Amino acid sequence: MFDLDPGEELALLVETTRSFAAERLTPSLREAEAARCVSPATRAAFEQIGLRGLELPEALGGVGLGPVARVLVNEELGAADPGAALALDGPGPVAGALSALGGEEAVTQALASLPEDGRALLVDLADAKLQVEGGHLQGVVPWVPAERADVVLVLGEEAAWLTTGGYRLEPLRGAGLRAAGSAELVFEKAPVVARFEGRAAVEQARASARLYVGSLLLGVLRGACDFSREYALQRQAFGRPIAHHQALAFLITDMRMAVDGARLLLHDAAWRIEAGLSAAGETAGAFAQTIEAAATIGPAGVQILGGHGFMQDYPVEKAMREARALSSWLGGLDAAREDAGRALLAHAGPVPLSAGER
Amino acid sequence: MDFGIDAATRVLLERAREIGEREVRPAGLEADRMGAPLPPDHSYFKRCIERGEGRTRWRGPVGRERPAGPRRTTVQTLLVAEEYAYWDRGIGVANPGVGLPEGNVLAIGTEEQKEHFLTPFLELDRPRWACFGMTEPGAGSDAAAIRTHARKDGDGWVLNGGKCFIGNASRADWILVQATLDPTKGRAAQRAFFVEQGTPGLGGFKIEKKMGLKAYESTSFSLEDCRVPASHLLGGEQRDTSRAGFSTAMRTFNAGRPVIAANAVGIGRAALDEALRFARDEDRLGDPRVRDRLEAMTRKLRMARLLCLRAGWLADREQPNIVEASMSKAMAASLGQEATTLGMELLGSRAARGDHLIEKLYRDVKAMDIVEGTGQVQRVIIARQLVQLPR
Ligand SMILES: Cc1cc2nc3c(=O)[nH]c(=O)nc-3n(C[C@H](O)[C@H](O)[C@H](O)COP(=O)(O)OP(=O)(O)OC[C@H]3O[C@@H](n4cnc5c(N)ncnc54)[C@H](O)[C@@H]3O)c2cc1C
Repeated sequence: MFDLDPGEELALLVETTRSFAAERLTPSLREAEAARCVSPATRAAFEQIGLRGLELPEALGGVGLGPVARVLVNEELGAADPGAALALDGPGPVAGALSALGGEEAVTQALASLPEDGRALLVDLADAKLQVEGGHLQGVVPWVPAERADVVLVLGEEAAWLTTGGYRLEPLRGAGLRAAGSAELVFEKAPVVARFEGRAAVEQARASARLYVGSLLLGVLRGACDFSREYALQRQAFGRPIAHHQALAFLITDMRMAVDGARLLLHDAAWRIEAGLSAAGETAGAFAQTIEAAATIGPAGVQILGGHGFMQDYPVEKAMREARALSSWLGGLDAAREDAGRALLAHAGPVPLSAGER
Repeated sequence: MDFGIDAATRVLLERAREIGEREVRPAGLEADRMGAPLPPDHSYFKRCIERGEGRTRWRGPVGRERPAGPRRTTVQTLLVAEEYAYWDRGIGVANPGVGLPEGNVLAIGTEEQKEHFLTPFLELDRPRWACFGMTEPGAGSDAAAIRTHARKDGDGWVLNGGKCFIGNASRADWILVQATLDPTKGRAAQRAFFVEQGTPGLGGFKIEKKMGLKAYESTSFSLEDCRVPASHLLGGEQRDTSRAGFSTAMRTFNAGRPVIAANAVGIGRAALDEALRFARDEDRLGDPRVRDRLEAMTRKLRMARLLCLRAGWLADREQPNIVEASMSKAMAASLGQEATTLGMELLGSRAARGDHLIEKLYRDVKAMDIVEGTGQVQRVIIARQLVQLPR
């Protein structure tokens, strides 16, 4: 029955991740952004607490956890530095997606030889102009948050393709998530090394990727809310803390509500996947809701700091840019709404609202 | 973590669905067409009593308690409240029973008060109601500003003032009236008094004409030198020095917030289902604009439900839920409104005919953002917690 308690093990994982983020990511977020990578010391700490490859099977040195753990961890990392989170988690959203496509075997085959600082990239066909012909991928992905790619998984509508070479990355300045790097990805007859078929499996893979990106985005939004709220309690205008002007108090309240609501939708969707229920529509809806929340919270976080928010001395402008970058991934809002809408219409009769209504 | 609904709760929901479809929806539509609340002798209420509805949670006098029935969790209560509101929210309030004041009476009523005022609700011989009168023409959100006055006079109290918008007041066996002993002393001076129907000085009942929720009466009344015995002061005289009067009232409201939120989700869900059905019948689902709006509404109502359940889940664990309860209410009330508006927009000019269920839902749901604390008041409550917004 309805229970939001993640349990002792996951609560501890969240706590550990939060401490890591506070000690390692937050203090160096501008450095990582400028260097377009994370420091070796940060990487070592991340490995040491077992956060790399959360979903990977134990045989690959992973922890073998599921989507609920992933959304909890990503919120914590995203609240500190989502670019660094992507840089640190080499398998990234590919691990969960591959597991949906081909189970542990597919994960092992694709990721067993991923170097410690290697990156697996996930590309949604919706974001790119790609052709798949004669066992090769050809075309351009305008942006990926990476500057190296050891493995690339491309998600189509009814199939997915894996490739490990025959492409190059052309570095870009990037709008956000720069700590993960930023590049154009050009496929030049990249040979497909594995092909996965079936709409249902691809939908589950995309759902898992949306949860990954959506929960990082949620973290960014929470971070922006927390920072701007605390600022609003310190900053004085017209003789009182700006938070005590009702216009700002209500804005802060609405921001928090939007974050809490999006979080519940993401958790509900993650739980569905873990419970083996269909979740494509719910996940797409949760992703869409988080993106819509980002559209207001990102700029509102800056607004609360006024002109100071516009300056790079504070992290809220970074949050606004990174929220936007995450919102653009995996086909962004429109693709998510397309999938959620399709799932809704596939259902005859009363609209099922919660996971409980199987 | 678990977002599932267990088998026992499904049984409750299935039963609510069945009664909702067969009894509640038709009764609500009847009242809406009449433009007046169902009269107290309506056969609908008799059937409620036959089904065993309206009984108090109180188990009877000390030493003679009835065996405890299965206790519903707050989460279950919220899901059932949502389901009832799906079929008709006004009827839910019109249903016989102690209603709003029950929590107050159970929490701080004396044993004698429970015995006197709740015994008739242990096993209802006929439809009976009670109600809680807080709001006045000059004081709603600012409940500390009420003017209805109570003066000690010999061995009793004399009440003067008036209340408005009070649900079920003219048919209630008794009204729990919130009054002040000294209007200059704010909340600390407020107390609640049982005023029985027929007490001299209680009168001037006027059933308001409302935009929606016509199935139950919202009534104003006056108190003119209305004398009640000392034993009718909720909690007894000993409580005089405490702040119990006001905080008790606020507690009632607080416990009710997620329920109102769940009601709003239920109304919104009814509107969404009707809108989807209409769009399907009219072959409009191929229009991406229509589909996108239905999609957005679905996830937002799902979000509102989850916020309600979170507030209930915390209550079940006896954890503070002030912020969560207010969030659920603020969010659900406006999303319920949004869902009915979407339905109206899809109906187009047909909506203006005034004969579609969605049109009724559109009128009904508005009150969810007003009763038990407006959306703004919920934000004030949340902001007090988040940023210590001063009073
Ligand atoms: C259908 C219905 C049934 C009802 N049933 C009952 C009942 O059974 N018992 C009972 O006691 N009452 C009942 N009420 C009354 C209800 O509780 C009040 O209407 C409600 O509390 C709002 O008070 P008000 O109408 O005086 O509005 P006001 O308090 O005058 O509010 C007017 C506007 O000012 C805003 N506002 C007020 N204070 C603030 C603030 N601090 N910051 C920002 N904005 C603010 C409000 O949000 C609102 O938009 C009922 C009302 C309705 C509509």
